[in-house]
Amino acid sequence: MRLRALFVCVSAWAQVDYQTQVHPVLAAKCFACHGGDKRSGGLSLRDYQSVIDGGRSGAVIVPQSSGDSLLVQRATGQIQPKMPPAGPGLTETELATLRSWIDQGARPAPTAAPAKPRFVPTLELRKPGGSLEDLLNAYYKRNNVKVSAVSDAMYARRVYLDIWGLVPSPEQLAEFTTDRGSDKRVRLVRQLLAHRENYAGHWFTFWNDLLRNEDSFGTYGGDRKSISKWLESSLAANLAGNQFLGQLLNPRRPEDPDGFLTGVNWRGDSSASQMPWVQAAQNSAQIFLGINLKCNSCHDSFISKWKLKDAYGLAAYYSPDPKLELVRCDAKTGEFTGPQFLYPALNRPSGESLEERHAAAAEMFVDPRNGRTPRTIVNRYWAQLMGRGIVEPRDDMDGEPWSPEVLDWLAAELAARNWDFQWLIEAIVTSSAYQLPSVAEPAPAKGFVFRGPQVRRLTAEQLIDSLSAITGEWPVLERGNQKQARYVREAHRPASPLSLALGRPFRDQVITERATDATTLQMLELVNGKGLYEHLNRGAMRLLGREPAAPPNLFDSLAMRATTPPVKIDLDVSNLKEAWLVVADQGSYSPGQVKTDWTGVELITANGTEKIGDLHTTAVETHKLDLRGKNARRLQATVGINAESNRSDINPSVRFFVFGEQPNYHRLIPVLEQRPVSAPPSALTRDELIRRIFRQALGRDVTAEEFRLAQATLGETPTPEQLTDLLWAVAASPEFQLVL
Amino acid sequence: MKMPSVSVNRREMLAASLAAAAPRLRAAEAKPATADTLIVLWMAGGMAQTETFDPKRYTPYESGTPSNDVLSTFKPIDTVVDNIKISEGLENIAKVMDRGTLIRSYQAGDLGFILHSRHQYHWHTGYAPPQTAAMPHLGAVISRTLGPRNAEMPAFVDVGQDMEIGAESAAVKAFHTAGFLGADHGPFMVVNPSNAAETVRPLKELGDRRFQSRRELWRQLTKNSPLAQAGGFQRDAILRSVENASRLMDSPSAKAFDLSLEPEKSYARYNTGRFGLGCLLARRLTESGARFIEVTTEYIPFRNWDTHESGHERTVDMKRQIDAPIAQLVLDLEERGLLNRTLIVLASEFGRDMVTEGKPDKKVKDQVTVPDIMTEPKHYGMHRHFTDAGCVLLFGGGAKKGFLYGKTADERPCRTIENPVSIENLHASIYQAMGISPETSYEIEKRPIYVTRDGKGKPIETLFG
Repeated sequence: MRLRALFVCVSAWAQVDYQTQVHPVLAAKCFACHGGDKRSGGLSLRDYQSVIDGGRSGAVIVPQSSGDSLLVQRATGQIQPKMPPAGPGLTETELATLRSWIDQGARPAPTAAPAKPRFVPTLELRKPGGSLEDLLNAYYKRNNVKVSAVSDAMYARRVYLDIWGLVPSPEQLAEFTTDRGSDKRVRLVRQLLAHRENYAGHWFTFWNDLLRNEDSFGTYGGDRKSISKWLESSLAANLAGNQFLGQLLNPRRPEDPDGFLTGVNWRGDSSASQMPWVQAAQNSAQIFLGINLKCNSCHDSFISKWKLKDAYGLAAYYSPDPKLELVRCDAKTGEFTGPQFLYPALNRPSGESLEERHAAAAEMFVDPRNGRTPRTIVNRYWAQLMGRGIVEPRDDMDGEPWSPEVLDWLAAELAARNWDFQWLIEAIVTSSAYQLPSVAEPAPAKGFVFRGPQVRRLTAEQLIDSLSAITGEWPVLERGNQKQARYVREAHRPASPLSLALGRPFRDQVITERATDATTLQMLELVNGKGLYEHLNRGAMRLLGREPAAPPNLFDSLAMRATTPPVKIDLDVSNLKEAWLVVADQGSYSPGQVKTDWTGVELITANGTEKIGDLHTTAVETHKLDLRGKNARRLQATVGINAESNRSDINPSVRFFVFGEQPNYHRLIPVLEQRPVSAPPSALTRDELIRRIFRQALGRDVTAEEFRLAQATLGETPTPEQLTDLLWAVAASPEFQLVL
Repeated sequence: MKMPSVSVNRREMLAASLAAAAPRLRAAEAKPATADTLIVLWMAGGMAQTETFDPKRYTPYESGTPSNDVLSTFKPIDTVVDNIKISEGLENIAKVMDRGTLIRSYQAGDLGFILHSRHQYHWHTGYAPPQTAAMPHLGAVISRTLGPRNAEMPAFVDVGQDMEIGAESAAVKAFHTAGFLGADHGPFMVVNPSNAAETVRPLKELGDRRFQSRRELWRQLTKNSPLAQAGGFQRDAILRSVENASRLMDSPSAKAFDLSLEPEKSYARYNTGRFGLGCLLARRLTESGARFIEVTTEYIPFRNWDTHESGHERTVDMKRQIDAPIAQLVLDLEERGLLNRTLIVLASEFGRDMVTEGKPDKKVKDQVTVPDIMTEPKHYGMHRHFTDAGCVLLFGGGAKKGFLYGKTADERPCRTIENPVSIENLHASIYQAMGISPETSYEIEKRPIYVTRDGKGKPIETLFG
């Protein structure tokens, strides 16, 4: 230390100044190729930061060591090719200036601190010695991080939300908190992971966002293909991550997710930078390598080392034509490239067929020499579970991790464990890092020190599903043209105003981080939206055992369109007091204009036939037939869409039903009884309800004051409305909406 | 993908906002604004220009007439401006033409096949999807760049578009969004203007009293939580947003949404249906300090302006819906002294023609069967999607008065022959009127995304002043 201080003192009088001495040299000799917008080899020497950042080959300056600095090695010709390649080289004086400046610390100004060498990410992966906890402890010690662990109840709420996407029920919470075993946290995590359906039900959303998979979206007139079925079953099977990637990048079997490489396409022409194979290159590089190829899909990047050729080189692995012409900003360049991976060291002979190129791509991404993919995946999981990645922004994995050791340990271990995603979750959530108290301040972009997980907001899916778990009332999905609906988790439903307000994204692009800031428009939906009101209101009725009756239909025509032939109805109506003839719209362009016909409606009675005649309804009307005193046995009719409705602006699609009593218009088709998780016990007293709601929603006991407030709201015998209001007040509270 | 950041004088970066993820504005120097409020009147589905604001030779319906002979199915009528004739059925607008500028040379983008929602996306964001970033709607850009005029009034209000319209729902949703600018700048949706008040009033199911008592319970519970202090900035954001949302509903501005407060006579002048009442709502919101309002005739495939058959008959009805309320909106704003600082833009994703699909030299695959010879009234009308010419109207906000810009040929293919207007330049003109430089950009993922494509939009100066 003393020596170095002395050195600094002695040389201080001769400090080289970057701005007045170094910059002019670089400007004169290097700017022809490295002047800013031109960045040969990805290197710009335009300004101080660019010089320090270096180029494609890494840093060009090693502060305090001119001999190891590529800039000097090239300028002297010690490493070929010598620079500049043409024109006069650097003079001895110029070289001496550069050398002194670097040896003095490559400071931006003589009085500034020496430059910090740029973090250089490596491709290969070496597992640091010791355990994860050893590495974390060393980090805590170095950075004075106070170490403690959150309570059992808080831990349970975290892991239930992070593994199942649901708050724990009071029973589940009690079972955990009363467990005396010292290994109970690990056991709980394993138990949660072992419930593959609930686990997949939650992590489906994480991967949907990344892989921009969306079931409910139309095709935009072009190609887009759902991979939901594959994704859910792969998660439920805990498919090894390398195979998971392999099937995405090299789909072979019919059940494989070829929709990922298909991308999102709209009818018509697309920009060259949005052809399906370029999309595939952008997406695979972003999701799995943390490399942004968006700029350089159109032109050489101004902000990174990546060039147009790099994006097209990767795209050529996904393209039917292995030789791609580079198109710069939608103008053809006449320059071509074949398949070329972003890391040339991993290039594989790619073969002639598209299948071979897909296979080669899949192999390069999970090549054992490729540490980038496991690091990127580890970082994404870490960020998902902790609110901030080990590297941020998480889409630029060239950034410096706050602990390269922790990142590499997890990444190496993940690869060694056959890319087991469930292991990765277990490793993270059972680590001391995850168990630290949460940090309530926004993470700074610079100078971040890890002190615990960030406070996170529940996602739309976690929030809605947790409310469903509390009340036992789940959203219903009527998929396609089926005679039965089922209770589902929110992720399986089309986006709604509520889920969109709570941050569910459009998945037209890869979403690697959801916006989590609460906004006024969002909260308007929470405060006054019909969606949440109805969900809670149905939930309240269910908790009070007062759900509205939903009589089964006696007839369901399924969807009928203008061209569907009419359907005959012949129903047993003996013992019925009335018959309800219902038409429900199924997505007509103009439901109010659809004319439907119930022709030749007849009642077969003990005394013969009673002709009722023809009935006409729009797609939103109902007829009620009074059968009392008629001794009717059968109801006969023919149903269909009136020919007048066969118009492009009406485009009728309706469904005919018959009910024996007043239908519940929310439940025209029966719902399979099975729910995502078991329903809360029925017939609870008011006070039991209060205790239960607080315990489940907030993961803690209700306080005396809260209990009093809730009682006052519910009155002696709560009505569904009163209970809805209590549920809302809890649901809208920050404590419920946050993972603390 | 993260939220983006705006830039001033290009180099001068504003300090990043509180949320690390918020996009940074990179504003460029702009001319002084000539308008504070923008109202877009959206003719959804492709408004036939030769049937509305660019009439050509009139041919009455007669069975046996070749389709190719028909350029207009309406007679031209005079307007109060000597050199401007428009189409029968637009008599009210004809009377206010001296307050505005008519552009006849809008050329829609060449996007290959026609897909309404894709052209609408292109019109509203300036970019053709797919894109690598979620592009913001014009209204969202204005909301983010200028902010609200009145803090209690959402800066971006969208009137008349139901988002559930079948197969194209997702595509329409894809641009009714603030995209990378963040949810706070997204549209405040009012589907049916007659019920607009309901969007800012406690739900019917709840009612005022319950709404208040429920909120009081929420306040008490929040205050009394043993973890009341936990959660930091995330908790504060939730508390603040819930209060703001409630405040919006209590505010005097909320009354602007309530059309029942409008005098009967005035209400009747606008009441040609949903679109007409949307114009009334736009006027009321403008009076209350709205920043951006779009009122649409509503896009539903094959309905409204999307005339694939019976074009003439349906256009009669569309004109009935739009004529009186648009003229009334102009007159009412003028009477209130607001027209000078309110820019009204009437536009559509493209025009229509009986014969040409796309542009004459860039035809695309036909999507409508048009017989060579008309044999039924349903064949009479402009049923194909024409992208070479379309009409845009500008009123107020500094736009020239009684001005005609651009010209189309009098014979088929009736293409643009003078002063073509692209979406980039139209947007640049609109942004300039609002005091936003067309070179303004937002930084997202470290790269700039400009409010006109690649910052290349050039204002058409002659439209203003």
